[in-house]
Amino acid sequence: MTQGNSNVMVRFDRVSKRYPGGKEALSGVSFDLHRGEFAFLTGHSGAGKSTLLKLMMLMERASRGQVFVDGLNLNRLRPSQVPYLRRKVGVVFQNHQLLFDRSVYDNVALPLQIAGYSPADAGRRVRAALDSVGLLGMEKRNPIELSGGEQQRVGIARAVVNKPPLLLADEPTGNLDPELSAEIMNLFMRFQQVGVSVLIATHDIALVERLGHRRLILDHGQLHEGDVIAGGQYV
Amino acid sequence: MSEVRRKPVAKNADKKAQEKQSTGASLQKIGSRKRLSAWGAHHQLVAAETLLRLLKNPLASLLTWMVVAIALTLPGALWMALDNMQQFSGRFQESGRISVYLQPGTDVVQGRELAQRIDRLPGVAETEFIDADSALDDFRANSGLEAALDFLPENPLPSVILVEPPLQLPHAELMKLVGQLNNYQLVDTVQMDMAWLERLQAILDLSERLIWVLGILLALAILLVVGNTIRLAIAARVDEIRVVKLVGGTDAWVRRPFLYTGLWYGMVGGLLAWLLLIICWALLQGPVAQLAELYGSGFTLKPLSAGAAMILLLAAMILGWLGAWWSVSRHLGEIEP
Ligand SMILES: Nc1ncnc2c1ncn2[C@@H]1O[C@H](COP(=O)(O)OP(=O)(O)O)[C@@H](O)[C@H]1O
Ligand SMILES: [Mg+2]
Repeated sequence: MTQGNSNVMVRFDRVSKRYPGGKEALSGVSFDLHRGEFAFLTGHSGAGKSTLLKLMMLMERASRGQVFVDGLNLNRLRPSQVPYLRRKVGVVFQNHQLLFDRSVYDNVALPLQIAGYSPADAGRRVRAALDSVGLLGMEKRNPIELSGGEQQRVGIARAVVNKPPLLLADEPTGNLDPELSAEIMNLFMRFQQVGVSVLIATHDIALVERLGHRRLILDHGQLHEGDVIAGGQYV
Repeated sequence: MSEVRRKPVAKNADKKAQEKQSTGASLQKIGSRKRLSAWGAHHQLVAAETLLRLLKNPLASLLTWMVVAIALTLPGALWMALDNMQQFSGRFQESGRISVYLQPGTDVVQGRELAQRIDRLPGVAETEFIDADSALDDFRANSGLEAALDFLPENPLPSVILVEPPLQLPHAELMKLVGQLNNYQLVDTVQMDMAWLERLQAILDLSERLIWVLGILLALAILLVVGNTIRLAIAARVDEIRVVKLVGGTDAWVRRPFLYTGLWYGMVGGLLAWLLLIICWALLQGPVAQLAELYGSGFTLKPLSAGAAMILLLAAMILGWLGAWWSVSRHLGEIEP
């Protein structure tokens, strides 16, 4: 396969995932996500959206098929290399996974600290990331004092602070009202404009249809391209 | 296909590298040096943070510290005792002397001759022959039992050759000499003034073995108690570990604070053990000196030597670190994002 193709950010090649003792969560999923491309991943609850995202982070491993991220064959990645894969992929979860024992600044700085940035370099990048999500004045606050939307934006700042080439989000607007949701989605689209590949799992169909980007639709573990199926009958 | 595409790029890069070799090399160097210094800085940061965390909340760690300290104090105190006893036995080695009692009825000439022969043996520094009659005279003069001795029909005392081995004669040589002395026909019994010393040596050997056994058991106790404390620390920071792993923290990075915490538990426990040992020494020193004086000895209890104290502290830190390592390698793998 031409997995070395530098234009492809993510490639799934007939990927299946079966959880131990469970049914198949993904069956024969194939797609490419190009560099700088923006796509939504939709589907009913339990369709396999989270599973698909987890495969890209090696939070789960594929049962069959191959997953490539930034040219890396994840099947061949040794456990000791997994951290370096994860540094290339920014992730945002619905339960934003912030740490409440430290400030907003320290939350966002964590990936930089791990990657070995000097405090001065890190400081500049943290402020840039917080600026890009509109939270520049809140560095010293504890995330627990922030609203749900603000917390989600801290999570996004942490995901992009290391300038990863790929950004994943799992139901990032799950708890937010429509207005805030649209704001968050706009934020993601701005990262795409600076060359980041973005894949967002969501079941907020109304929002997806309004924004009109490429859609990958999961249905009981099987993937369909949104533009192939007219009228969104798999939604 | 990708091969074909990559080649010209590589060629280009080669050219560029040739052109700007010096700049490229120095840039590279700065990069890796920066990385190394970041790594060192993180070690310092984690070391300081974990120590501060322990010291900020000493009550939570006090139990662990005390268990480590007591587990170290027991073998430490034994070690101190052993050191002192060795010093004690060393002093007495110098006065080792062998009394060779001759058969009853051995005459003076034969006795003197044997004494001269013994004098020429290797491992003998000096001999002195005391015939039975002068032994009796001595006894009469010193014992105050003159009247009683007059009732005895004949001299009850044998002739004796006092044999002085040289100072610090090895134990094995000494035993060989005793065997040789026993083989002479004229010799009745050989008595070492040092029989008790031999027993002391045996006790010292036993104590040393005991320290090892006790030390190993207590080392295990330290591993277990630090390991368990670290297990609780890990459980309290599961969320943080998940997030760190999610954003690309390596296992080494995740392990680091826990290993330092184990190291500090060992260190603080070791320092407390020093304190306990000094208290033990201060409490015992007076009575021991008093007892020694009653026996007419100038013996004083020495505290644990500086070298031994350092070894104790170092062992404590290594054990704390190992306990943490053991706990971390068991529990960290279970925590995945
Ligand atoms: N850890 C797991 N163990 C077993 N089954 C799981 C696990 N995670 C998800 N599943 C199952 O896999 C299927 C897909 O789940 P998921 O990827 O979470 O779907 P979605 O995110 O689209 O709601 C579901 O049937 C779910 O029950
Ligand atoms: Mg999900």
